[in-house]
Amino acid sequence: MERKLNMYKPQVIRRIFLCCLLGLLYPFSLLAQQAVDVTAKADTNSIRIGEQIKLQLTATLTPAQFKDANFKILFPVLPDSLDHFDVVTRTAIDTSVNQDQHILHQTFTLTSFDSGHWEIPPMRFEVITGANATSDSAVTLPIGIDVNTVAVDTTKAFKPIKAVQSVPWSIWDYWLYIAIGITIALVGIGIWWYLRTRPKTEKVVHVPTVSPYEIATQELKVLKEEKLWQQGDIKQYYTRLTDILRTYFEHQFNIAALEQTSEELLQNIKPVTKLNQQRDKLRSLLTIADLAKFAKLQPTADEHEDCMRKAEEILEWTKPKDGPAENVAGEKQQA
Amino acid sequence: MENTSSDIRQLNEKIHQASAFVDLLTMELGKVIVGQRYMVERLLIGLLAQGHVLLEGVPGLAKTLSIKSLSSAINAKFSRIQFTPDLLPADVVGTMIYNQQKNEFVVRRGPIFANFILADEINRAPAKVQSALLEAMQERQITIGDTTFKLDEPFLVLATQNPIEQEGTYTLPEAQVDRFMLKVVIGYPTKEEEKLIIRQNLNPEAATPIRPIIQPSDIIEARKLVREVYMDEKIEKYILDIVFATRNPEDYKLNKLKPLIAYGGSPRASINLAWAAKAYAFMKRRGYVIPEDVRNVCFDVMRHRVGLTYEAEAENVTSENILSEILNAVEVP
Repeated sequence: MERKLNMYKPQVIRRIFLCCLLGLLYPFSLLAQQAVDVTAKADTNSIRIGEQIKLQLTATLTPAQFKDANFKILFPVLPDSLDHFDVVTRTAIDTSVNQDQHILHQTFTLTSFDSGHWEIPPMRFEVITGANATSDSAVTLPIGIDVNTVAVDTTKAFKPIKAVQSVPWSIWDYWLYIAIGITIALVGIGIWWYLRTRPKTEKVVHVPTVSPYEIATQELKVLKEEKLWQQGDIKQYYTRLTDILRTYFEHQFNIAALEQTSEELLQNIKPVTKLNQQRDKLRSLLTIADLAKFAKLQPTADEHEDCMRKAEEILEWTKPKDGPAENVAGEKQQA
Repeated sequence: MENTSSDIRQLNEKIHQASAFVDLLTMELGKVIVGQRYMVERLLIGLLAQGHVLLEGVPGLAKTLSIKSLSSAINAKFSRIQFTPDLLPADVVGTMIYNQQKNEFVVRRGPIFANFILADEINRAPAKVQSALLEAMQERQITIGDTTFKLDEPFLVLATQNPIEQEGTYTLPEAQVDRFMLKVVIGYPTKEEEKLIIRQNLNPEAATPIRPIIQPSDIIEARKLVREVYMDEKIEKYILDIVFATRNPEDYKLNKLKPLIAYGGSPRASINLAWAAKAYAFMKRRGYVIPEDVRNVCFDVMRHRVGLTYEAEAENVTSENILSEILNAVEVP
């Protein structure tokens, strides 16, 4: 008998060891295979027709499931329209943690336009586990929803459609515009006030110290001293002579004399000066000058002297009584 | 060889005598053309300066009568071509036709073989016809088949454009317009002039026919003298200043014109301005050019050579406005 017991002893010990080992590993295997807790919850079970329901789908994962790289849970993909329900909006899947449990949730906004008692069908979650991607399903319970119609008293007469109601005017609707307007007005008043009260700087009035007449007289004197025609530079002599006169007219009478031809100058000088009696002198001077400048005319020495004399006479005739230019600041008369 | 003072004096006298026909011609044309002295004067400038004239004006302003009378007064051949959309280059220059008797192709010359051509409403014909005419104007010769024909001198084209109707027209490109020496814009006659026109038309028997004053050879001689008209360096500089001011207005303190000008005058503008000024001086019986001559012809020579920008068009600025600004800013020598 004892010999028989000794014979079975190793087998018994082996079985006890196996049982202990199984006993130790069992909770872990249970934990791994534990089903995912999925729920579908509506915020109300009764709506009026067309009203909206918030349907929240939730999947609660244990920390082990959450950390398991092979573990995946796929939320149901709802079409835009279920039986008697329409999906208005859907959110993305969100995750939150509550006491080591990871809760995945997604919210759908549903509505219904069919009156009656309808069921939101069970929602099927796909659970994928293990290295070989074993697939399983977790299903929520159906949710009953009462969709009620609006009670209509058909015995009463139809009421007319109400007119468009106007919203009562309120100043507070425009407070921003009013504030901006007041600010701009204040800034404007401030600038105006500043410009009005700032210390004024005295405008420096440029008083020409030398009048155009004096300049022209001086230049004629220099031209005489240069003895250009005596040296044979007749063209230059008449160019300078007419330039002196034109510059004088330009500054004295604000005629754009430098940009005008002889004929135009004679025409335009008429209304602004008392040169009328002397216009023939100016004409003859300009004619000789043009011939000398553009036709290589060689006037006689007497004609050179005569032109200089005429230029001086014209200056004398037209010189202002008060000295300075008649209208220095005025606009140039355009031809 | 440089002209001396005595050369110019002699030339002046020579021109004074030779240009006497201008007044006679103007008087003769005045017998049938009431008013439009400006247009006649420009035609003579074109004729003497070997240029061509583009005339812009509404219908009925004696354009045809003017050039026809001018050709009669010069005893020259006149031809009128009405430009239409279906006109072909061969209709203008001529073509080769087959002579069955001689069994060969012979040249049939087109209406361009005349001294004075009136290209009426040039912008109504397509570009290929315009090009054919404008090439003939430039080269003064025509090639038909294998034969090249020199056009008779004097050769003057007066092309007309109607500024009112633009529909169904082929606007002349800038490069083609540039070939015209002058673009003359003519307006309506005055009340007095129009009264005379009515009287003249109501009593056509009283009208005196134009008699030839000079011969085409006289015009060719006059052209030689026009070429000799003395132009001083100062005048050349003045011409260049005007043309360059259209290209670079900012160099002449005309910055405000910069955004208004798309392109300025070409070297052909300078050449034509100089030619026209010389011709004008000749007509004024002078042997030398003065700034007045340049200014007088400036608008007609330059108005079609200054391109306007969209900005200028939007502001209703015309090339005349721009040229006025330039002439008022460029110093006269």
